Amino acid sequence: MATDTINPTPLRSQAPGTRRQGNRKQGNRKQARRNTLIGWTFILPNFLGFLAFTLIPVLAAFALAFMEWTSFSAPKWVGLANFERMLGSDSFWVALRNTLLYALGHVPLTLALALILAMLLNRKLKGIGFFRVAIFFPYITSLVAVAVVWNMLFSPDSGPINQFLQFVGVANPPGWTSSSDWAMPAVILTSVWRDMGYYMILYLAGLQAIPTELYEAAEVDGASAWQRFWNVTLPSLRPTTFFVVVMLTVSSFKVFDLIVVMTNGGPGRSTTVLSQLIYQEGIGEGKFGYSSAISLVLFLIVLTVTVLQFKLQQRRER
Amino acid sequence: MKRTTLAAIALAATASLGLTACAGAAGPAETADAGGKTTLSVSVWNYEGTPEFKALFDGYEAAHPDVNIEPVDILADDYPQKVTTMLAGGDTTDVLTMKNVTDYSRYANNGQLQEINSVVDSLDKDNLAGLDAFDLDGKYFAAPYRQDFWLLYYNKDLFKAAGLDEPKNITWDQYAELAKKLTGTAPDGKRVYGTYQHYWRSTVQAIAAAQNDGDLIGGDYSFAKDQYNMTLDLQKSGAMLDFGTAMSQKTSYRSMFETAQTAMMPMGSWYISGIVAAKQAGKTTVDWGLAQLPQKSAGGDTTTFGSPTAFAVNKNAKHSDEAKNFIEWASGAEGAKAIAKIGVVPALQTADVTAEYFKLPGLPTDELSKAAFSPDKTVLEMPVSDKSAATDKILTQEHELVMVGERSIDDGIAEMGKRVKDEVLK
Repeated sequence: MATDTINPTPLRSQAPGTRRQGNRKQGNRKQARRNTLIGWTFILPNFLGFLAFTLIPVLAAFALAFMEWTSFSAPKWVGLANFERMLGSDSFWVALRNTLLYALGHVPLTLALALILAMLLNRKLKGIGFFRVAIFFPYITSLVAVAVVWNMLFSPDSGPINQFLQFVGVANPPGWTSSSDWAMPAVILTSVWRDMGYYMILYLAGLQAIPTELYEAAEVDGASAWQRFWNVTLPSLRPTTFFVVVMLTVSSFKVFDLIVVMTNGGPGRSTTVLSQLIYQEGIGEGKFGYSSAISLVLFLIVLTVTVLQFKLQQRRER
Repeated sequence: MKRTTLAAIALAATASLGLTACAGAAGPAETADAGGKTTLSVSVWNYEGTPEFKALFDGYEAAHPDVNIEPVDILADDYPQKVTTMLAGGDTTDVLTMKNVTDYSRYANNGQLQEINSVVDSLDKDNLAGLDAFDLDGKYFAAPYRQDFWLLYYNKDLFKAAGLDEPKNITWDQYAELAKKLTGTAPDGKRVYGTYQHYWRSTVQAIAAAQNDGDLIGGDYSFAKDQYNMTLDLQKSGAMLDFGTAMSQKTSYRSMFETAQTAMMPMGSWYISGIVAAKQAGKTTVDWGLAQLPQKSAGGDTTTFGSPTAFAVNKNAKHSDEAKNFIEWASGAEGAKAIAKIGVVPALQTADVTAEYFKLPGLPTDELSKAAFSPDKTVLEMPVSDKSAATDKILTQEHELVMVGERSIDDGIAEMGKRVKDEVLK
């Protein structure tokens, strides 16, 4: 992030004159221990919740990936059998392909739109706040409502989108969510519309952190608007872009709710993604071991992609 | 000592978090036998929205003043998972409602239910529809109290306006013909479809399986070919709302029928009480009738499909004898009448119960509707097997592709077979 790190001055919470000089070292150690203890006490409530509902289940899932467990009987160790089954399963590859397709569509489109919107709304005008809020609004709207409304817009024969397309002369507009080829683009469009406001806010913060001197200097040197954007704005936004790309990638791989409500993975398997497969196999069919194996693979994919992104970023900064 | 106070608050917060975490996992309240009454706990789903439970419990309590029934209410969508979890955790709820036969067979085969042959033997076996589904090598671990089956709903006004006779004992060919004739525009300018087949795969596959002795988890789906041909032809001719629109818009079959947008609709018997309630509330004025589900050929037996709902006794029940008593009552004539009164179709199919059922205000009183109520044969919608859930998913996915016209019928049927063999039966 493009913020300065603040070095907090260590708190000295010693009441003066309470301790004798000779015991200072011991006293300090005692004091430090006490401070640590107090610190832990503060994070304990949240950490316990995290431990019980996130950390332990996650570790249990890693272990379950190597077991067969239907919740009716005790888990049974099966080694790599789940993974063998997964690699031989058509549904897994279909879901993996769909997840990658979704990420490939969702990440660049959201990024580009968020940046363009941020550039547009980064000026001092009366009422600019209204537009910023309007763009941000889809992000805080209930996801189910978003999905239902877009489903109506995408309706193959009576939806406004296809009505408009026919009006401008498209003879056979796509069937959107009722067609295997167009369901994924429809889902991606909806998710881009929903997410762009949030990332726009991040970019706005980044834009406002760029010193104006840079632009003034560029103007003095006779740079055109395009050159200013290319040589000043984009490089200055690099940390923001990095953060946005990482966040977007992770969220793309985890997409679940929007797809479940919009298409439920259909028609056929054309929009079934990995997180949905995990849900279907685990909660739907009770194969907890197998679905844990799929989630482990999804975790490894996300981890690899994120580590790669960090490595690339470091190389760029050198 | 400010800091100590803070720490204490933090600790208190932690403790409460721990407590709330556990509170969610509490089972039914410990059955305190208040005032000499035995408290019998029964697992149910959506107690408020499923009136049959209240009807049964109130009826039983009235007949047995020494018993107090306590429903253990569970969200309908989570019901199977929740009951599975409860049983795995050694829960002691006395009576477990079996929402579907697949879950029943899992619980029974896992030894989590008590055998209740003595109860079943005392029931009117010959007239208890759906009982066979609970027979595991001659042992019964549950007894049905409710049996839903599919029939044909039709809009009498639209039939009259088109000058057509009621759809009595029709074949699928006649049904398709009627649907095309009934398609058009209502006097108020609204579009009327001849029929509506909801986007569930059952409206094609389960009908075909029931009437052609097809096995839905067998891996060969050629038996569904004719039914697909007819359905796609109706869709092409515009006599039926097309599948793509229905699926992507999550069309409600209720509003299709209740707002007279369709003249006919094959649907399960659970919808009867739905229409009655909608009419009583003044939400619809539809003049409706019932007919038998159309058949392959004329003059034979009426075959339909459906699924029973049953009660079972938990292996860990605290009150086994009372639980068995309750099931005997619920699956018997008394229980049947109690739910027939509110428009729910009981498993017990006797002349008495049917008469009781048609006393319900708002039901059609014509002969055809009454006749539709006694199909000759009701086949189980999905065979009892641990492969049902996985097969269901594949069949649903391939059904969508055939219905939106992206796969030919032959290819779709071939793909269903191939995938079920590869992914489930292997």
